[in-house]
Amino acid sequence: MSGQKAFSESAKSGKVLLAKCSKCGELHLGTVMFCAKCGSRKFDSQEVDARGTVATYTIITVPPDGFEKYAPYAWVVMALDGTDLRISGFMAGIASPDDLPVGVRIRVTGDDERGVIMERD
Amino acid sequence: METVCVLGAGSTRYGRLDESLVEMIANASADAIDDAGIVPGDIGAAYISNVFGIADKQVHLGPVIMSRLGIPEKPSLSIESACGSGSVSFREAYANVAAGFYDAVLVTGAEKVTHTTTAWTTTYFAYCSDFFYEGSAGASFPGLFASMARAYMTEYGATEEDFARVAVKNHENGLLNPKAHLRKKITVDDVLGSAVVASPLKLYDCCPFSDGASSAIVCNEKFAKEHGGKYVKVIGSGRGGSPSALQDRNHITTIDSTVSASKAAYKAAGITPKDVDFAEVHDCFTIAEVVNSEDLGFAKKGEGIGAAREGRTARNGDIPLNPSGGLKSKGHPIGATGVGQVVETYEQLTGAAGERGIKGAEIGLTHNFGATGASCAVHIFQSV
Repeated sequence: MSGQKAFSESAKSGKVLLAKCSKCGELHLGTVMFCAKCGSRKFDSQEVDARGTVATYTIITVPPDGFEKYAPYAWVVMALDGTDLRISGFMAGIASPDDLPVGVRIRVTGDDERGVIMERD
Repeated sequence: METVCVLGAGSTRYGRLDESLVEMIANASADAIDDAGIVPGDIGAAYISNVFGIADKQVHLGPVIMSRLGIPEKPSLSIESACGSGSVSFREAYANVAAGFYDAVLVTGAEKVTHTTTAWTTTYFAYCSDFFYEGSAGASFPGLFASMARAYMTEYGATEEDFARVAVKNHENGLLNPKAHLRKKITVDDVLGSAVVASPLKLYDCCPFSDGASSAIVCNEKFAKEHGGKYVKVIGSGRGGSPSALQDRNHITTIDSTVSASKAAYKAAGITPKDVDFAEVHDCFTIAEVVNSEDLGFAKKGEGIGAAREGRTARNGDIPLNPSGGLKSKGHPIGATGVGQVVETYEQLTGAAGERGIKGAEIGLTHNFGATGASCAVHIFQSV
């Protein structure tokens, strides 16, 4: 399975696919091919619970093709618990900044035609 | 290495243009050739930057332009690097002249998109993101910069009103630029009251989609002197890269490619940010100008917003940013923008900027990036 496909499959079950460098231990998202720290291309893949906090986000009111029927929605960057990594995704039902304070707990709940799906935890 | 110079420049008006993409490129190129006092046969090669040629039914632009200029035998290279295409293209021109491959080359950037719909441009521009992680989950370009803006507001306490001041300042500058797309004075209230595109960014925080083409003649100093026209020296050139997705940046409100490109350019020029008299920076959104002012070393991290608030970046401030009006008011024909900044800098440093001229300016800097700053080029110019 390609790295992107495997990443999406993990997201479907609420997980995030990570790749831990076998040589230096640096943690990456599962789509990586060479370690950004040491250059090694050997990794141990692991799935972890995709839970974390809102690092930042936007509420999109002028959407790209395919997202018209979902607007307004949030595009969110989540800081993944227990790591220095972040992942991005789609969140429905967010119309005002009051609906989603930065720092609030969220999790990945799926992956479909809207990309990685996130919800309040 | 050869000393590299800009000998001539030309640009169409930016805005909604009737000419085809090819006609715009040919017109701006011919103007730059005339301005330099040379003929097309003097050019050794051409670098043509463009992103959405497909929207005007023409890709592989290089040979088409060479044919229109009557030099079909000359080599050309078509370059795409999202909104940073123009500066990357200029860098290739610079590198080839510096290396001695050519005495003189043409660099032209262009874009034509205003005949398409907002939905088309929003969709296609999103292809410039790291699509698997960003565009595929509904991120638009304004959305990506809006995420940067919210992170900046959270971290440094900036307000939407602070960002609005950047737009107001660039519109004031653009009023003095006869080739600018949006020549209209606006107020902070106009910005705050404009429609939300991607919260917290509103329509007037965003640059427009523009048509337009800009050109420059890049040559070695011997060629410049022999051809007698006014020229400026390129004293520093730097390139940099950042993770393509915002999520992978060390710091969401720092664009690493700007930091590394500008450090390389300052080092090559032997100067510091304090020596720069003005800069044309990539203000695709108001937040971008604030972040750029920090990443280029004009303000400390988190203090760029204060510099904007206090008017330090205005035309009469201590580091004028975007005297042309910037992407915000002058316009953003994405393949042209990086070359357009060079045109502005050439005009500023040769006394051809008219009313918007920065008095006594001797050193100007151009900064242009692709997407959310995944790719970047910075150049430093000095008057002769």
